[in-house]
Amino acid sequence: MSILAINDLKVQFPTPEGLVKAVNSVDLELEEGERLGMIGETGSGKTVLGLAVVRLLSGAEVEGNIEYRGKKLLLLDEAEMRKLRGREISVIFQSPNSLNPVLKVGDQIAESIRLVGCSNRQDAKKKAVQAMEAVGMPDAELWADRYPHQFSGGMKERAMIALGLACDPRLIIADEPTKGLDANIKAQVVELIRDVTTDKSLLFITHDLSAAAQICDRIAVMYCGEIVEVGRTEEIFANPLHPYTEGLFRSLPIMGMKAIRGASPSLIDIPSGCRFHPRCDRPCENCAKAHPPLVEAESSPGHLMRCFQHDRG
Amino acid sequence: MKAEYLMRRAFYSFLAFMVSLTLTFVLLHLMPGDYLHSILPYLAEKNPDAARMFREQFGLNRSISEQYLLYVVNVVRGNWGYSFLYGLPVLAVIEEKLRWTLVILFPSTVLSILIGMAVGAYSGWRNGSKTDLSVLNFMIFVGAVPSYWWAMLLILIFGFHLNLFPLGGYASIEALDVGVRISDVLRHAALPVTALTISSVPGTYYLMRNSTLQTTGEEYVLTARSKGLREMEILRHHALKNAMLPMVTVIALELAQMIMGSVFVETIFSWPGLGLLTFEALRVRDLPLLQGIFLMDTLMVIFANIAADLSYPLIDPRVKVGENV
Amino acid sequence: MSRKSAFSAGLFILGAYILVALLSSVITPYSPTALVGRPLDGPSDTHLLGTNDLGQDIFSRLLYGTRATLIIGLLGALLSVLVSTLVGTVSAYYGGGVDEVITRSVDVLMTLPSFPLLLVLTIFFAPSIFVISGLMGVLGGTQGIRIIRSQVLSLVEANFVYGAKAIGAGDLRIMTRHILPNVLPLATVKFVFAAQRYMLMGVGLGFLGLGDPSVVDWGQMISRAYYNGGFALGLWWWLIPPGIAVTLLSVALALLGYGLEEEIDPRLKRSVAI
Repeated sequence: MSILAINDLKVQFPTPEGLVKAVNSVDLELEEGERLGMIGETGSGKTVLGLAVVRLLSGAEVEGNIEYRGKKLLLLDEAEMRKLRGREISVIFQSPNSLNPVLKVGDQIAESIRLVGCSNRQDAKKKAVQAMEAVGMPDAELWADRYPHQFSGGMKERAMIALGLACDPRLIIADEPTKGLDANIKAQVVELIRDVTTDKSLLFITHDLSAAAQICDRIAVMYCGEIVEVGRTEEIFANPLHPYTEGLFRSLPIMGMKAIRGASPSLIDIPSGCRFHPRCDRPCENCAKAHPPLVEAESSPGHLMRCFQHDRG
Repeated sequence: MKAEYLMRRAFYSFLAFMVSLTLTFVLLHLMPGDYLHSILPYLAEKNPDAARMFREQFGLNRSISEQYLLYVVNVVRGNWGYSFLYGLPVLAVIEEKLRWTLVILFPSTVLSILIGMAVGAYSGWRNGSKTDLSVLNFMIFVGAVPSYWWAMLLILIFGFHLNLFPLGGYASIEALDVGVRISDVLRHAALPVTALTISSVPGTYYLMRNSTLQTTGEEYVLTARSKGLREMEILRHHALKNAMLPMVTVIALELAQMIMGSVFVETIFSWPGLGLLTFEALRVRDLPLLQGIFLMDTLMVIFANIAADLSYPLIDPRVKVGENV
Repeated sequence: MSRKSAFSAGLFILGAYILVALLSSVITPYSPTALVGRPLDGPSDTHLLGTNDLGQDIFSRLLYGTRATLIIGLLGALLSVLVSTLVGTVSAYYGGGVDEVITRSVDVLMTLPSFPLLLVLTIFFAPSIFVISGLMGVLGGTQGIRIIRSQVLSLVEANFVYGAKAIGAGDLRIMTRHILPNVLPLATVKFVFAAQRYMLMGVGLGFLGLGDPSVVDWGQMISRAYYNGGFALGLWWWLIPPGIAVTLLSVALALLGYGLEEEIDPRLKRSVAI
């Protein structure tokens, strides 16, 4: 059974400059215990998608259906939704400013724990310390009484992970948790996320392909507010089908760091036809006219992509 | 923040005080006629010997720089000159009135901070909502009405028409027989405190609203929401403390505003504090007394600033006095 | 009431006051200082708001009082904005030692309580509306330097100023052609709020007996009504009108100011975070 099923999800932000179409008809399913990597450039709509699941977008128009364990999330009232946040579905944000600068880190974690019914302040604090130990923080007791500015970037991210796991949620949405970290610290954080989510469902939002590869069972690639390719991690890595995915691989340092030409289009003024065609290396005539559907590749079952070229050949 | 920062602030405070001193000194010396002439107008004409003695006694025959030094030393020693109006040392007059001013200034400062911050936080948190906009409009209106007009309206309504509170003064006439009772003073202080509070709430409110509004977009607020906290819990536990940070310094500045308000309010309620004293000094053009009041006000503002500097680290853990960030 | 209509309402009221100030001699037949009736008469056809304790026409005094209040408010605000814009711009533009000296002096001067200082200086120079506006302009201008300075500072770092420097434009030209137009919106908002504050202060000074003795002003009217029996006898038409007049003008300027502020400050507008 799937823990999360997203159907025809649209998210739009009305702004003075025009309607920002951040997520456009996204369908996505996440099985219980599955870890899915959501990959895309900045502005591809991947973060908006993640926040839409927990309904934490302000000023957005959200349409479609999001089902969590059979519950239609968009139909819940705010109080019911609040009960799911943190204890069922938790979010791990990218860290620098995600912790409150004027509260002790231990207290911020304990606050979450108290919400799930641990009314005793001392017990909650003790559990918070345990949660910090569980993410490999040495001297957790000492650090629980310190403030975020005393933490290094890597430690802040660990604290965020501890916070996300504190109430033992089923589904974790991690929003670019490795962004801005040094390479060796990033490696540690990736390893940590992999270890602590073995028995969880995870939506791992990132622009970092290698991090996603180490953690995730499946990978979805987002471009311009829609999913352009999704499949098993090995499958995507061995046989990327969409030109955008290929481009992402080519831009990796070990692959020669060739950036995709052009820049991401504005989400107000989305290109017609295939959204990627203005930047594509081998566009066909049809690409500019028609919008390709997301279809299963003939060669590999369960591997979906949105490109005319592969459809035909 | 470092010790160096505090030292610099202390140095500024010292400079500010010296600037005030120098200003008052210069004004006293540019005053038409000299000090002696102002106190005893005909002495120099009628009895030059006595006038000379007087001048020597007060150092008026020395050079300007010597007089300046003498003035500074005198002020530091507590000799702030003589009031024309009272014929008493300025500092003694001020000291007595200062106490009465604090009786109304202290509660109204506390009240307006509490009310302004609470309403401002709520309004800013709900920014753009109907409640926010109507509160904002209401506060803009309240703030636009001058403090002296609030004071008069309060007297007219609650004192004159409803007869609930005394029209002015600090104690009833019975105090002559039974002595000044605290309950009686409180009854007299109620309207002045209300007037001062009303006129300074909007300033605090507006700043707190803006400050809270800034926090609504902060990432830690999003984190708090993702934990499943209620909106009001997020405001109380997460946003409020952050929104209060910039307020600390502002509140010290607002004290200067309160001092101005108290001049009008005390005058209208005949409350025997520094404000009423200011009015009396203005009426008879008692410059030495006015300058004394000005020095005292400067000191009050300086102390408020120092208190703000010292209390800042208490609410912001990132700032430790005498410690590198 | 929306911001926009509040702004228009403020503008309309201010316009009406200016009109009254200009036309007061046309609207009312009485001189504000002449003794034209029995003292302490109530409102009647001949004296719309009755007469005061001297037998002067209160309605005429109210109309003529608009002049002093507007002059103090607008002139004081103009001076203070000039001072803060001039000093703030020079300080931020040249930077270095000039900036250092100015910023430090402002830091020190900001600590002084300006209202008591204003009182002392007004007494010293003898009160007149021009002295009072001048003092307000200088004292208040000091308080605004910091805000203008930081605004100019961000402009100086902007590309178009570098561009202008690169093509060899002179300092004065850059300041007047490139920087000033960008500071103007902020300066306008400061002007409106300063006008409100100084106008209230001007009336307040009149109430405290520091008004210009040669003009009619609302503060002196309120004070006279309050202390010479208008209050004790409950003669509302003597005490209330000048109070309402100053309050309404102040509200109008406040609406104008907040409307303008919202217009130029995108931070206060609701923005969408993606």
